[in-house]
Amino acid sequence: MDLQKLKTKPRKAARTAPAADGLKVVGKSVLRVDGWEKIKGAAQYTDDLQFGPGLLYAALVESPHAHARIKSLDTSAAEKLGGVVKVVTGRNFTQKFGLYMNDRYVFATDIVRFVGEQVAAVVATDPKIALRGAALVKVEYEELPAVMDPVKALEKDSPLVHPDLGTYSHVPWFFPKPGTNIAHWRKIRKGDLEKGFKEADLVLEDTYYVPRYAHCAIETHSAIGLYDASGRLTMWTSSQSPFTQRHVFAETLKSFGLSHKDVRVISTYIGGGFGGKAGVTMEIIAAALAIAVPGRPIKLLWNRAQEFYNTYQRLGVTAKIKMGVTKAGKITALDFKLHWDAGAYVEYGANVVNAAGLSASGPYRVDNISVDSMCTYTNLPPCGAYRGFGYSEFLFGLESHITRMATQLGLDPVEFRKKNAIKEGDILPYGAHMNPNGIREAIEKVEKEIKWGVKEKSKDPRKAIGKALVCFWKSPAMPPNASSSAFLKFNEDGSVNILVSGMEIGQGLLTVMAQVAGEVLALPVTKIRVETPDTDRNPYEWQTVGSHVTWGCGNAVKRAALEARERIFDLVQRVHCLDKSTLYLEDECVRCRTKPDFSLPFRDFVINGIQADDHTFKGGPIMGSGVFMPEFASAIGDPETGQGGHPNVHYTTGSAGIILEVDRETGKMKIKKVALAVDCGKAINPDLVKGQVVGGLLQGFATVLYEDMRYNEKGRLLNPNFSDYKIPTVMDMPEVVVPIIIEVPQPDGPFGARGVGEHTMIPCAPLIANAVADALGVRIKSMPVTKEKVALAAKAARK
Amino acid sequence: MKNHDIKFTLNGEQVALSVEPSDVLLDVLRGRLGIKSPKVGCDRGDCGTCTVLLNGKTIRSCLALAVEADGTEIVTLEGANTTRKWTQKLQKKFHEKNAFQCGFCAPGVILSATELLEKNPKASKHDIKEAIAGNLCRCTGYEPIVEAIEETVKGK
Amino acid sequence: MPITAEFEYVKPKDMEEVLHVFSLYKEKARALAGGTDLVVHLKEGLAKPEVVVDLKAVPELAGFALRDNTLRLGALATFTDLIEAPVIKAKFPLLWEAALTVASTGVRNRATVAGNICSAVPSADSAPALAVYDAVVLTRSLGGARRVPVADWFTGPKRTALRPDEIVEAVELRLPEKKHAGCYMKLSRYEGEDLAQGGIGVLVFADHTYRVAACALGPKPGRCPLTEAALNGKKLGDKTLQAAKEALLREISPITDIRSSKEYRLHMAQIMLGRALESASARLLGKGPKYGAENIC
Repeated sequence: MDLQKLKTKPRKAARTAPAADGLKVVGKSVLRVDGWEKIKGAAQYTDDLQFGPGLLYAALVESPHAHARIKSLDTSAAEKLGGVVKVVTGRNFTQKFGLYMNDRYVFATDIVRFVGEQVAAVVATDPKIALRGAALVKVEYEELPAVMDPVKALEKDSPLVHPDLGTYSHVPWFFPKPGTNIAHWRKIRKGDLEKGFKEADLVLEDTYYVPRYAHCAIETHSAIGLYDASGRLTMWTSSQSPFTQRHVFAETLKSFGLSHKDVRVISTYIGGGFGGKAGVTMEIIAAALAIAVPGRPIKLLWNRAQEFYNTYQRLGVTAKIKMGVTKAGKITALDFKLHWDAGAYVEYGANVVNAAGLSASGPYRVDNISVDSMCTYTNLPPCGAYRGFGYSEFLFGLESHITRMATQLGLDPVEFRKKNAIKEGDILPYGAHMNPNGIREAIEKVEKEIKWGVKEKSKDPRKAIGKALVCFWKSPAMPPNASSSAFLKFNEDGSVNILVSGMEIGQGLLTVMAQVAGEVLALPVTKIRVETPDTDRNPYEWQTVGSHVTWGCGNAVKRAALEARERIFDLVQRVHCLDKSTLYLEDECVRCRTKPDFSLPFRDFVINGIQADDHTFKGGPIMGSGVFMPEFASAIGDPETGQGGHPNVHYTTGSAGIILEVDRETGKMKIKKVALAVDCGKAINPDLVKGQVVGGLLQGFATVLYEDMRYNEKGRLLNPNFSDYKIPTVMDMPEVVVPIIIEVPQPDGPFGARGVGEHTMIPCAPLIANAVADALGVRIKSMPVTKEKVALAAKAARK
Repeated sequence: MKNHDIKFTLNGEQVALSVEPSDVLLDVLRGRLGIKSPKVGCDRGDCGTCTVLLNGKTIRSCLALAVEADGTEIVTLEGANTTRKWTQKLQKKFHEKNAFQCGFCAPGVILSATELLEKNPKASKHDIKEAIAGNLCRCTGYEPIVEAIEETVKGK
Repeated sequence: MPITAEFEYVKPKDMEEVLHVFSLYKEKARALAGGTDLVVHLKEGLAKPEVVVDLKAVPELAGFALRDNTLRLGALATFTDLIEAPVIKAKFPLLWEAALTVASTGVRNRATVAGNICSAVPSADSAPALAVYDAVVLTRSLGGARRVPVADWFTGPKRTALRPDEIVEAVELRLPEKKHAGCYMKLSRYEGEDLAQGGIGVLVFADHTYRVAACALGPKPGRCPLTEAALNGKKLGDKTLQAAKEALLREISPITDIRSSKEYRLHMAQIMLGRALESASARLLGKGPKYGAENIC
């Protein structure tokens, strides 16, 4: 489907004639249901909530060292400061926590493991007093040797970040190596690697380096906790994961007598997530503070620097690739070693390593493959989910490598990709079968869009033009039993409220859920309200991550809508004696195929029922609930080969191409055109898919052109601000962005849909690196590919 | 440290309050006056999400002391929503074009665009980019924002 | 993020009152004009004044005026004031072009030129323009007024010739008498707002004389006399340009920092010099890019 054409279609799509597929609401670019709230400034984010004069504020005492033993902690001066209510340390919070592995502490009590780690918190009546109090807490440290590099962390004499690793509990599909810094080692072994390399005409081996990155949502993390006199804990958090947070709060604070029913998490709109607000980071501190100071709400608001150094960061990786290819362009073997710098705590980051390890072949069929994806502890801040979840990182090396090998063999890199592209039914690296996908169509459309094969010349003789095309794939990385659920209830006027716990993080989830229900119930989205969750009221959703909620939560909403529809049909059949199979919904009414004059508006019966001939009322409030669990998934495979399970539910695939202008002297790069085709199965709202493409591409280009986190040798982050961590401005947009939607339906997706949110940023790094190589003949193997690197490499090449 | 009694016009209403010299305008607007559309983003003038109009010009309210507001006229999106013609036209286009995702930067972007169009109703694409170059958006990739402002200029 | 430091705030109505405060408090007083640097420093604990002196009510410090070929920029003149003034664009296009590269609208609406040179970071975008227009910084204390040539103003990174009891009243720029055109080339990490990793400002005169100044390529911004000597009296050609680039390398001393390496700065300084001279020469002939366009390297 061509998005450019769709754009010209009328906006009131919900009321237009049915499309060829019969859909009236799904597949239309309806306006967002959260639009007016957001652009009028009425939308409330966590820090906007008002708590009255009783609100207390917290400030942290943080470690200045990357690795040190806490010798003493003196809070007395802070406690004496007027306005300080309490100074809280880890003494009362000894339970470790984590999402996939319990390796994290609420406060460091004995050892600090990264610069910025929380040691204590000062709770005060005013934010200024809290900060002044924090400055008065005296901590004595004994510095310990630290390790900052994931490869050095594997050396025998490396300092150990977690000597007690062997005692930590974790999910059964993690394989830590106690006595080392390896927190998890995902192995994949399929086929015969040696034989594969023998069959190859060219074997190329090289190393690619990817640094750490920050999400840079414009809203920082914030959390407010209230532990009331009745023993109930309410948390207001800026979160992608309200239910996961509730679970972690309840488990971690179990010793205070909390059960899950006593913990309530309320999540408002969030000012950008990108994975950074998944799981639990600083929110656990606010929860602990609430317990420590019962009866008053306590706010913890991260400043921008803390947002950089004490939330999840994207993992850095050193990627060693050895690949074998025949003259005909078939990949015969891939040996991929990924050394991940996962930081001081890896309770979430280790799953990034796992996900990348399972899928490191990229969207290609590779019969002989070995992957070692190693999650390594370092004394840098903890890493976790970041839009792309490991795929951007390994694709930089893999897609650079593929273009290099094709070029060295004199093959066309695009033809090479077509030849090796994965097909439905192909065996995946872990042994399961590939889902239906449109990767070939994506390649072909992108190829055409960037006029692949046509060499272009810049009008400016100082500049050269390069082109590149790469492929991508990604699967939701989630536990095999990550489920979604939905409630749906009608109101008197026939409008509907939907309760889900999938989070609106900017992607448009609320609108898409309204469209899914609207399609089933013949309602325009303007008659449907979907809001952000409160775990007391809304049903369960694991987390809003992995680009899986359109699929998972969408399935639950669809089932809830179908259940409500079924109840409507049952009622009408019972009261009006019409055969259920002849009933259908249209224009907010129940209609009957065999009785054209029958039309019962929703508003006439969805709350108060239908009056029968005897003047009694039948029915009552119409509601529906839906649950979705991927019952075919399993994370258990052989630890030595990765074979046997079905850890990934499906892959979304696609392709992207670029026309890049590069200044030979300055290295400055201008994206003249970028096209990205993604197979979203079914675009429930094409304009929102386009939004993901345009926005995701710029975030992706930023990681390759401008951004990276810089640490000094002591483990201190040197650029925890937007002055020196450069996220793009409007001046830095590509000149032309062409989103292309491919629709090869996902059999188990709602109306065939699968996720698309993360995928749009993951091809960017190899796109730039390959286009620079095409333009100037220089190959940059470390991210970011800044203009400085390009200019200096080009200068060196000229000599 | 002496407190200062200040008076200013906030969204058309007179406000009088006592502030400490070290109070930051953004914090006073949000914490004491309940004005929540200017957001805390970077707290050092880099991101533009705290944008307010001071005497008709956009400023970073995170970089102004509250005491400096004495005698000025401050308009935030809460006020511009109903009183500024260009704000309303922009909002309509922002909605149509999906010129926001998470919505956190939207108040600042819309006020920056309002300042531009009040000064220059025929702003070019370059003028538009220049005007909102200090408003960071991590979601949209900016394209729909620029389109929305362009279409507002064209009166489409 | 609150400011935890405690200080007094005063807003004098006239110069005398201002100067009294500074004579009393000296380095413990900080002048507040736009506040775009000062408030960041207060938040981050880099400035700990006892008193903050808001200058915005002092009439003598406001505005700017061109008289007798001398442009007087009051200490309260903001970058937006300059950008919106047709006279600046027409007569001091290099200053105008440099002003456009400073931060972004919401900051430029408050930030002042005087503040920029008082902060005196090596990357001050206004500095090369002030240098080539032979600016003089007018300071005043109770003890009297001084005229400090901009060449003597910057004494090191974040250090100036301003005395603790003084404030900057105004900056004066001389309008060059001969026909000329200019260009400010700025090295940034991207097109959007950034601190200069290097900046070259040039004026090219019809009689083949040249003025060249740099920022962010050494501990302090300023003129490049060796480069000017290599250029003066010569038409721009490959040989002259090469000699100028070599001269430039002899008088700049960039460092490696988080924003850029020394190697890249040295490489780019030469390219920026070449491109700035090329643009300015073209502008002199009524050609070349418009002011404010194509000057971000």
